[in-house]
Amino acid sequence: MKKVSSIFLMLSFLVFSFGASSVMAAEAPVKLGFVYIMSGPFATYGQFAKHGAELAIDEINKGGGINGKKIEAFFEDSAGKPDVGIRVIRKLVYENGVDAVIGLDSSGVASAVAPIMKELKTPLIITHAATPDVTGKNCNRYTFRISLNENQNMKMAAAIAADMKARIWTTIGPDYSFGHQSWEYFEKYLREKKPDMGFVPVSDVAFAPMKTTDFSAYITKVMSSKADGVLVSLWGGNLIDFVRQASDMGFFDGKREVLLTLGAATEVLYTLKDKMPEGLWVGTRYWFDGNDSPENKSFVQAYKAKYDVYPSYNAHGAYAAVKAFAAAASKAKSTDKEKIVDSLSGLSLTLPVGKVTIRPEDHQAITDGMWGKTASDPVMPIRILKPVRNFVGADITPAVSETGCKME
Amino acid sequence: MEGFLINVLNGLSWGMLLFMISMGLTTVFGVMGVLNFAHGSLFMLGAYMSMQLVRWVSSFWVGLIFAPLFVALLAIALERFLLRPVYGRDVSFQLLLTFGIMLFLDDGVRLVWGPAHHVVNPPDILAGVFPIFGQTYPVYRLFLIAIGPALGLGLWAFFSYSRWGKIIRAAAMDREMAEIVGVRAPILFTSVFGFGAWLAALGGALAAPHQSVGPAIGEHIIIESFIVVVIGGMGSFPGAFVGALILGLLASFGATMAPDFQMALPYILLAIILLTRPRGIFGEES
Repeated sequence: MKKVSSIFLMLSFLVFSFGASSVMAAEAPVKLGFVYIMSGPFATYGQFAKHGAELAIDEINKGGGINGKKIEAFFEDSAGKPDVGIRVIRKLVYENGVDAVIGLDSSGVASAVAPIMKELKTPLIITHAATPDVTGKNCNRYTFRISLNENQNMKMAAAIAADMKARIWTTIGPDYSFGHQSWEYFEKYLREKKPDMGFVPVSDVAFAPMKTTDFSAYITKVMSSKADGVLVSLWGGNLIDFVRQASDMGFFDGKREVLLTLGAATEVLYTLKDKMPEGLWVGTRYWFDGNDSPENKSFVQAYKAKYDVYPSYNAHGAYAAVKAFAAAASKAKSTDKEKIVDSLSGLSLTLPVGKVTIRPEDHQAITDGMWGKTASDPVMPIRILKPVRNFVGADITPAVSETGCKME
Repeated sequence: MEGFLINVLNGLSWGMLLFMISMGLTTVFGVMGVLNFAHGSLFMLGAYMSMQLVRWVSSFWVGLIFAPLFVALLAIALERFLLRPVYGRDVSFQLLLTFGIMLFLDDGVRLVWGPAHHVVNPPDILAGVFPIFGQTYPVYRLFLIAIGPALGLGLWAFFSYSRWGKIIRAAAMDREMAEIVGVRAPILFTSVFGFGAWLAALGGALAAPHQSVGPAIGEHIIIESFIVVVIGGMGSFPGAFVGALILGLLASFGATMAPDFQMALPYILLAIILLTRPRGIFGEES
């Protein structure tokens, strides 16, 4: 009896799944794979990105899809680890048969994954990871980035630092390539602007492992150095812990200038709320209140209506990548991977953040950037940016010759 | 000099958090012989529970008192219905089981509270800063530094002088003999496991205002706690205390003085101890 019922169960399951797939197979969908950090201390970034992607997919599907085909999404967790990132991307391409991969938060994952895309012959649109290498010395035909990279962000940071009172700079950052490279580029660009600026030697700056939850030792190290300017490149859960502990220890007492390179992430601002000090310069890839264009207004409105929070730069990155893929597909009138790659290269489109052009020589997006100063606003649940400083994309993007990219 | 003293305070406050987690781990191991992989998840659950209670009744103290109790009750149920059936079996069953509980709790926490981080404020009386060594230092960290040794001393006195403490030690030493003279070992084990969980969750509730409450909050601290327990000697309280102090100070001075291999320092120490004195600094000869 037991056997019969289990056979019945299995049959009904088979019938059901066949039935379901035959409905979906009516029109083969466009498949997009998304890889973000969905677990661990940086998991909010993945959640925002997923929401951004789903919003874009909804909009496109409601408008008739891509070349008449609906988009189907597959989400995978990179856990912020390079080996996991490679594994889930292979799974997306070989098992799910995705037409493109979108995502990546960590520079460590991005550096490991980019070379694999050549082998998988599948387009990858990076939306958050900022290492210059993937559109620089390790650039390749299949790898694109729709968001600002580290050089661009550090050019802005250096421009702001040049106007500050601080004469000697140091840094607190995560102890992996992102933190180290941020400091390296910041020093380089600030020296170009102000040759007499002082920098603390690299042995005396503070790089904290990503799993750190107690930053007191690093805060003490920086506070007892002679630096009066601090570049903070921590992000995610690290940045939240740092800001709280640093406030307690009197770090933000006005004796030093502080730049938070990724401080305007709404993921962080929603957690900290009024615990985020006012008057700090913070960087971002996108700010929901950054411009009044109709694209931005409708994006922010739709996102706020659906998820009840303001979109973060990571939400915008995922949204932007889906829109860019759709634009490339409709330009190519195909979702063939090689044609998408050709069509993404040099693509220009208007996104909520503004006009974005993917430079064909290195596949890096040229887009305007901004930094802002944290301020409070009684009607807003989180800190706002006031005033802001806008930068023109062309001014903050290093020339192709400087990137080290040789596109094959 | 000021930098040096502040580093000592930084090291002590982190060390005392480590000590609280390690105490639970070492008690459960010392008495029951169970290496509890889920200890870090119980720490995390303590932090989330206290955060939730603070949100509901907006009192840090309510969270501090009740969150560890809830977690202890849960742990008692886990011991009674999951761990107890595998005591007789190979030790790998226990390891797998506690590992499974860890995965279950970690994902459960994410299902209930989502991936976001949460901020818990210290109570007003502990929220300020204290002028010390020419700069200011958070009162809450000084509170952590004070509460660690107090709790440690209390536990030490409990195990050394109280009747219950003596019974627990007796059962740990020779379970069969203790049962023959009338100790009800199963109940004893259940309460020890619950107590270990209470300590872990207390550590979590105390850590909540010190850092933010988010997924993976327990990951880093539990690995260091395992190192503390091995360095200090499995099952030893003074060992956990000294081990936690060493690791706390290594973390703060390592970050300042040896930034390039600061991450490796605890592991180097662990290797040295395992090579030269495998039973740990305070471990007893088996």
